[in-house]
Amino acid sequence: MTSHLARQLNALGLLAISAVLLFAFFDQFVGGELPCPLCILQRAGFVVAGAGLALNILVGVRPAHYGLMILGAVGGGAVALRQIALHVVPGTGAYGAPFLGLHFYTWAFIVFAAIVAGGGVLLLFNRQFDSDDYERRGTLGVLAVLLFALAAAGNGVSTLAECSLGLCPDDPTSYQGVEALKALLSGS
Amino acid sequence: MMSIPFFGVALALVFAAFRARGVAVMLVLLSLAATLVLFNAYVTASLGLDL
Repeated sequence: MTSHLARQLNALGLLAISAVLLFAFFDQFVGGELPCPLCILQRAGFVVAGAGLALNILVGVRPAHYGLMILGAVGGGAVALRQIALHVVPGTGAYGAPFLGLHFYTWAFIVFAAIVAGGGVLLLFNRQFDSDDYERRGTLGVLAVLLFALAAAGNGVSTLAECSLGLCPDDPTSYQGVEALKALLSGS
Repeated sequence: MMSIPFFGVALALVFAAFRARGVAVMLVLLSLAATLVLFNAYVTASLGLDL
């Protein structure tokens, strides 16, 4: 696998992770479901995993970047597994509406597992690390990084709006940060 | 506090865009560490542990 092909595959992977983050955004703002703290931490896992792919596109393909991707997916997978464990016993309730028969946290775990497996597969191909022609980032790569950066920064703003400067409540019902800002501006 | 990992990665991408690879990798690692620290806080609280 050439370095160019590897970066193209990284761009496709980054687009897939951006799609996951944007779908979560869609559910948050259109579906009206506020993300729980563990849901936010799973999003953070996706963002860290995606950062590994983005670094491959921006500064060249390195094994260390795949390492970051796998570490992010393992961290996010651990959070998803914790949330599955909280709700897996029948009668203990669930968080959010299911999508295609599974809850978002279960889907998240499946995607994190796929990222880890994908990272392992991509690390099998040594020739991608031989050349250092990262000057050519490619249109697809640049577009993928821009979309991903937008999704990452958007999640930062959204989390700040929901949780303010502290930790989020376990079952959030409102945007605490926005309310705190309104109270600050009105002087109360 | 929970937005730290997101802004950390966004900042890392800015450094990576200017080829500052070392700083970018460090920021991504710090973002991951922040995620795990926050996760630990929630797990510890939900289990009622006083470590």
